[in-house]
Amino acid sequence: MIKFKLNGKDVEVNLDPSSRLLDVLRNHFNLTGPKEGCGEGECGACAVLVDGRIIHSCCFPLANVADKEVTTIEGFSETKRYQALADAMLEEGGSQCGICTPGMMIAAESLLTQNPKPTDEEIRIGISGNLCRCTGYNMIVKAIQKASKKGDGLW
Amino acid sequence: MVKHVIPKNLQDALNHLYQGDYHVIAGGTDLMIQKRNSADLPPLFHSNMLYLINLEELKYVMKDEAQIKIGSMTSLETLLHHKDVPELLKEVIKEMASPGIRNMATLAGNIANASPAGDSLVPLYLLDAIVVLASTNQTRYLPIEKVIIGPRKTVIQANELIKEIIIPIPHFTQTSWVKVGGRFADAISKVSFAGAVTVSEGIITDFRIALGAVYMTVIRNRAFEKSYKDLSVEELKNQLPQILTRYQELIKPIDDQRSNKNYRNQVASNLITDFIQKI
Amino acid sequence: MKDISQSIQKEDHIEKVSGKSLYVSDIKMDHILYAKTVRSIHPKAKILNIEIPDLPKDYFIVDYRDIPGKNHVNMIFEDWPVFAEKQVNYIGDPIMLVVGKNKQTINDLIGQIKIEYQVLKPKFEYKTSVIHKSFKKGNIKKAFTKPFKTISYTYETGYQEQAYIEPQGFIAYPEEDGKITLIGSIQCPYYVKNAVLKTMGFADDKVRVIQPSVGGAFGGKEEFPSVMACQLAVAVHKIGRPIKMIYEREEDMSVTTKRHPSKIQLTAAIDKEYRIQGLKAHVALDSGAYIGLSGVVLARAMIASTSSYTIDNLDISGDVYETNTVPNGAFRGFGAPQMIFAVEMFIHHIAKELNIDPLILRLMHLAKQNDLTSTSGVFRDPIIMKKMIDKAMEISDYEQKVKIYQDPSVFKGIGMSWFLHGCGFTGSGESTHINAKVKLRKDANDQVFLLVAAVDMGQGAKTALKKIVVQTLGIPSQQVSFDNPDTDYVLDSGPTVASRTTMIVGGLLARAALKLKETWIDHQEMEILEQYQQPEYIKWDEDTMVGDAYPAYSWGVNVVEVEVSKVTYQTKVKGIWSVYDVGKSIDDRLVLGQADGGIAQGVAYGYLEVMKHEQGKLRQKTMTDYIIPTAVDMAKTETVIMENPYILGPYGAKGVGELTLVGGAPAVALAIEQAINKKVYKIPATPEYIMELINHDKI
Repeated sequence: MIKFKLNGKDVEVNLDPSSRLLDVLRNHFNLTGPKEGCGEGECGACAVLVDGRIIHSCCFPLANVADKEVTTIEGFSETKRYQALADAMLEEGGSQCGICTPGMMIAAESLLTQNPKPTDEEIRIGISGNLCRCTGYNMIVKAIQKASKKGDGLW
Repeated sequence: MVKHVIPKNLQDALNHLYQGDYHVIAGGTDLMIQKRNSADLPPLFHSNMLYLINLEELKYVMKDEAQIKIGSMTSLETLLHHKDVPELLKEVIKEMASPGIRNMATLAGNIANASPAGDSLVPLYLLDAIVVLASTNQTRYLPIEKVIIGPRKTVIQANELIKEIIIPIPHFTQTSWVKVGGRFADAISKVSFAGAVTVSEGIITDFRIALGAVYMTVIRNRAFEKSYKDLSVEELKNQLPQILTRYQELIKPIDDQRSNKNYRNQVASNLITDFIQKI
Repeated sequence: MKDISQSIQKEDHIEKVSGKSLYVSDIKMDHILYAKTVRSIHPKAKILNIEIPDLPKDYFIVDYRDIPGKNHVNMIFEDWPVFAEKQVNYIGDPIMLVVGKNKQTINDLIGQIKIEYQVLKPKFEYKTSVIHKSFKKGNIKKAFTKPFKTISYTYETGYQEQAYIEPQGFIAYPEEDGKITLIGSIQCPYYVKNAVLKTMGFADDKVRVIQPSVGGAFGGKEEFPSVMACQLAVAVHKIGRPIKMIYEREEDMSVTTKRHPSKIQLTAAIDKEYRIQGLKAHVALDSGAYIGLSGVVLARAMIASTSSYTIDNLDISGDVYETNTVPNGAFRGFGAPQMIFAVEMFIHHIAKELNIDPLILRLMHLAKQNDLTSTSGVFRDPIIMKKMIDKAMEISDYEQKVKIYQDPSVFKGIGMSWFLHGCGFTGSGESTHINAKVKLRKDANDQVFLLVAAVDMGQGAKTALKKIVVQTLGIPSQQVSFDNPDTDYVLDSGPTVASRTTMIVGGLLARAALKLKETWIDHQEMEILEQYQQPEYIKWDEDTMVGDAYPAYSWGVNVVEVEVSKVTYQTKVKGIWSVYDVGKSIDDRLVLGQADGGIAQGVAYGYLEVMKHEQGKLRQKTMTDYIIPTAVDMAKTETVIMENPYILGPYGAKGVGELTLVGGAPAVALAIEQAINKKVYKIPATPEYIMELINHDKI
């Protein structure tokens, strides 16, 4: 029995502890935010927060989440920080096909929590584990920069 | 029936290892992918699993006058931002994988995985890291080059786990790290190079080179290094052709999906040359 | 009236940023079964015998014997089988599906299937030409009679994998009366529907295709999804249950279509005034095991043989070679990126041999309005390239840098590419193959619905097409709806390919909207249908490849600055500047977004993305091994959109989708060439290749 917090709620799961967290989130909890893009921790489409830090759920075993707080885009989207990022992404054009977007939002939150006023280079490093094929990244970097400036006090 | 155990503390973990046949897993970034099954199915871990990553007592960085002690379950990302971690090691970690992977990965995992291209291993070899292997009946302190004996082969016994990594505090005057991957983030190294030197009044008192991804394990040759001790910087630079020839004989790069022998060979030499010329 | 180019909120922004957008793998259904494909392990072999283990209840094998109609996937060329029958022609060639409810059981069953092969000798060299094309312009013989100089070079380009972040996948399920519905990650709902109809031999109303959110496509989901769709339709027909088949990354990368590798030979006849009087070109494309769209890719590549230049006398030929490797197909640019790379390098290499400034040589040949195109059509519309080139050079500080970087001891370089892209289907494709139809429907509440089959795969078609209708009608945006295409409700407005969506489909929607506005009656249900009509002046001979290949052309200039390491030979892209003429942007932010993404792919095609095969086995099959840029690799970009309205385009718009990828590779290759002071003939110009070039004494 693995107990953890998911998007603010206490949950209990009786599944194989070696299960990929991604599969638990998508199949057991029916969440659609985290996605499978590569299955090997490379593309970041599966990214979620564990104790506020970005991890790749496709190579993260369920057991490792015991007593931790997991936040997916579904949980994050209820926050003011999400709104600041979402608005900035809209204004800067940071989302095209959208498949990488939840992961990028998670990466941005993880970065800004640690570093509320990052440089462009730090933002690029912060999202270096999230691959995007549509945008060429620059509008996403601009969006995160904008959110960090406008969202004063949020992070 | 495969058993999965999340130990309550270190002693609990050691007891399980003593009693049964467990495969130890830390962050999982290597094992979860190496043993992966189809999507929606758990990995093919055909053995009992012992999950160590959340043993809080193994998450620490302690510095005294001589050494830095790193708890084996400290994440790479934590090390990257910790004031007591040597700069050289931080330089390496900064270019490894990505933030998400660094939040999950550990030096212990890198050591146990013993990949020939493992970046963190290179500075650990260069800095004379000691790996602390704990079991219920003993604690072994082994230099890292005695722990890793081949590609994905270590001397870690079935009842042991990596408890700590000890790094003597480095006092170099100059260090260098160059990672050569397919791109500038999130890449497996084609070649990697770490160099360190201590120069005192124009004389070399310490000279070290370590190369990664060009042999079955990290290359470091103390005999070579010793022979350059007490030379002047000028004399060392004059020795460059011989130095290159010596390291060329140790390097055994391969052709693979990432690069080819010639490139790895030549770049390794270029990296050594560049380091020495810049002393 | 607001300028249409002014950016508005992207239609699907909220659902995408919140993770609520549903892609095919997010869709769940009760009692769904899973399918996995059993594939050939040999590049060429006869199938002698297949032993299937005893199947547990509710587990099925689906193969060619279950096909009610034809065992072929409808694409341009009729050679893709749905399932292999007696022979397999590439590693990964599909033989059968195993279908059931538990994935582990499916894996176990596949492990027990025994296939006996007779291995045949595969071919990998460019030997067997399956399609040959050629065209001429002017008097090539005269041009090559006693030229002042003849210069000849050969250029090579490698695979490029689309690497959309969402792998391919479908759900197919039965409805009453034997109807089959398919939901998949696709670009062309009607391509899929028509392919399934042919394979199944069904009547038109028995197949329905619905588009969910699509996570990137870039051409990779143009024709390949039809293969999966046909296989699943056969399976659903046999089994009568819903089936889900989502490829994981390694399978997707190994077996889906990629950009055709090419070998391009160019020979120029030059006169005393340094004018290129004649150009001979031969394009060789590797189609892989099946031809599919390769003939059209070849045509586009050949037509791009003069890029943005005018050369009076041409002898252009090309061949598609069949090899026992993964079949290649559509990828943004569709033959143009290969050719534009070759031509841009060539003109620079000519300039070097003639010892003249490449800029002067290129300006001498830059196409002008009313010039004849490569296929003896006419550039009818104004060409503003000179203005664009000046702008690009200004914002990138090109002239200063190109001088400084000439110094061979400085390992920095700056490269500038000029290019064009024909908008829409080649020649008469729009009228003969597609015949696009769009509908606007107004209900009694005065809500207007766009009924088109155009797919928004990230490029913003949903936003742009709706915007055209809203602007034309002059009604609030909330009053207009554009739902994802469902073939039960929309007509075939054509595939979402060939940079045709804004110009052709948008153009038809603008006309329909105007008609609706003019005939509008409040609270009355209305429907306006518009059908594509080829402009009278577009005359094209498919066989001789003479005439107007495209109704319009978009133009571009890219400048890329690099620094190459003398120690590791790695290239760091320091800056990217672009100027584009897409007629008129329907939404600046969308076009700028396409510009950023396109050039990221184009530049990476030129120096970073490596895919090779060894005896038919791909060496790079994962996101770890197939290197695409990360945010750290991508340089800052500056893009300028210059207006040059096209009379027949909606609000003056021309094609956008592919243009922004086409020029990236030559720009970066030219920059690398300058940085290392050696000629680059191949892309990707990897560090390994750069090292080889530097080690060789020849320049």
